[in-house]
Amino acid sequence: MLELRAIESGYGETQVLYGLSLEAQKGRVLAILGRNGAGKSTTLKTIMGFLPIKSGAIAFEGKPIARQPFDIAKSGIAYVPETRDIFASLTVRENLEIAAKRFGGTKTEWTMERVLDLFPRLGERMDNGGTQLSGGEQQMLAIARGLLMNPRLLILDEPTEGLAPIIVKLIHDKLQDLKAAGLSMIIVEQNFGFATSLADDVVVVGKGQVVWTGSAEEIKADEDAQHTWLGV
Amino acid sequence: MFRHNALRCTVLVLLAAAALFQALTAGYFGLEILTEILILAILVLALDIAAGFGGMVSLCHGALMGVGAYAYAILSAKAGLAPPVAMAAAIVLTGSAAWIIGAICSRSHGIYFIMATLAFGQMAYSYVFEAPVFGGDDGLGGISRLDLSFIGVDLNDSRSFALFCLATLGAVYGASVLILRSGLGRSLAGVMHNEQRMRALGLTVWRVKADVFGLSGLIAGLAGALAAQHIMYISPGLLSWTVSGEALVVVILGGLGTLVGPLVGAAAFVLLKHELSALTPHWHLVVGVILIAVVMSRANGIFGWIEARWDGRAERRAVKAARKQKTKEVLSDA
Repeated sequence: MLELRAIESGYGETQVLYGLSLEAQKGRVLAILGRNGAGKSTTLKTIMGFLPIKSGAIAFEGKPIARQPFDIAKSGIAYVPETRDIFASLTVRENLEIAAKRFGGTKTEWTMERVLDLFPRLGERMDNGGTQLSGGEQQMLAIARGLLMNPRLLILDEPTEGLAPIIVKLIHDKLQDLKAAGLSMIIVEQNFGFATSLADDVVVVGKGQVVWTGSAEEIKADEDAQHTWLGV
Repeated sequence: MFRHNALRCTVLVLLAAAALFQALTAGYFGLEILTEILILAILVLALDIAAGFGGMVSLCHGALMGVGAYAYAILSAKAGLAPPVAMAAAIVLTGSAAWIIGAICSRSHGIYFIMATLAFGQMAYSYVFEAPVFGGDDGLGGISRLDLSFIGVDLNDSRSFALFCLATLGAVYGASVLILRSGLGRSLAGVMHNEQRMRALGLTVWRVKADVFGLSGLIAGLAGALAAQHIMYISPGLLSWTVSGEALVVVILGGLGTLVGPLVGAAAFVLLKHELSALTPHWHLVVGVILIAVVMSRANGIFGWIEARWDGRAERRAVKAARKQKTKEVLSDA
């Protein structure tokens, strides 16, 4: 579904990715793991067009990916960033409507009603401002806003960052529901247990390259790889 | 995103009541000052939409007002169009020019955006100043006001014209609120907060900025058409960057990004100008000192300062009420 071939990318003069290649399959969840500074978030930002590709190629559904973030979003990829980026001056409803008005409609798969069924807590806080939400509620809102874009691929950067264990479990269950519904996902995550219990496939990134590839079951069994590349 | 609260509504009602009272009771000079305030208020509302809510600090809004004024003057006085048609055409023309400027400048930010808009403004000023069709340095006279005699209103009467400008300002304020609360306004709030995030949500950011700048230009064009009718004479000075600078001063003085603040700023600025200029020719110095004081106080203008105190008082009340409630609970438990 999404294929990265020998990607080199980074921030200005600073190169972070050195020939990184990976593939996300349709209807499956790919977890990208790695230590801090390995290049996981850089990979996502490169996919989303926020960072220029110095060399290599990215294809989405067999076609070269668009260059601009808004065209990439329109092509069917939703991105939930680590910072969540909830618009502080807008209410929960308005935050959702930004995506719903652009991508939504009554015939689309994800409607406002459906995302509120998935995250009933948001329904109770529709008129609250973005800054009045807890970290968990902000994460739910960020995922809900991504779903309202009716994506064929949902990309999540560190969805459990800074969340209490009970909220991590809730987010895990919701993402499990999305996986069961057949939504393709890429998840960058530091929480090894969270990522491997959700993912079908795993790639481990180290120093800007893929250093390990396999299934979630395989990485759970490979203690050497865990120790060498993840410090688990 | 813009929202009304009790304070904003109260200040709006007070401002409207004061303006209406002045329009109904003032003499000729009072009405002239009131009309000047009302037209400036329309211009600064336009600037507040672009700068306060869109982060597009413009130094060409004076020029946009000038484009509206000249377009109205040429179309009505020289091309012979009926004043309502000329006014509508002038507004649309100014809005279109602003949309193009917004589209070109939308990829720049901060000081570069300011400089790019300044360049556009100065280009318009130079062209109008030198082109004979616009009357050059002499300007253009013989501009007529709208004819509303079919509803029994004579706009050549100062009082009627002031009331007409007040009604127009009310309509512009309402339209501004509608714009800011629409889908476009929501997108603009998102762009102000995080452009990159909005791009990842599939938004064409430059288009949103251009649309908002275009709408802001429509309002500036309306202010220009009214200014031309007010004085019935226009000169290239109307397009000068100093007019844009003054409008920016008024918005900052009143309260950037509050809509109500610029109205307060317009009234304060024009009244200060008239009162101080009677005392000293160096009235700009006093306005400058006030502006520096406002900026150094870190308050968002006069209205922002009031609003911050109002919010602080409401917060203190809520804390006090919560404490009282807790004490009651403790006492009842005991």
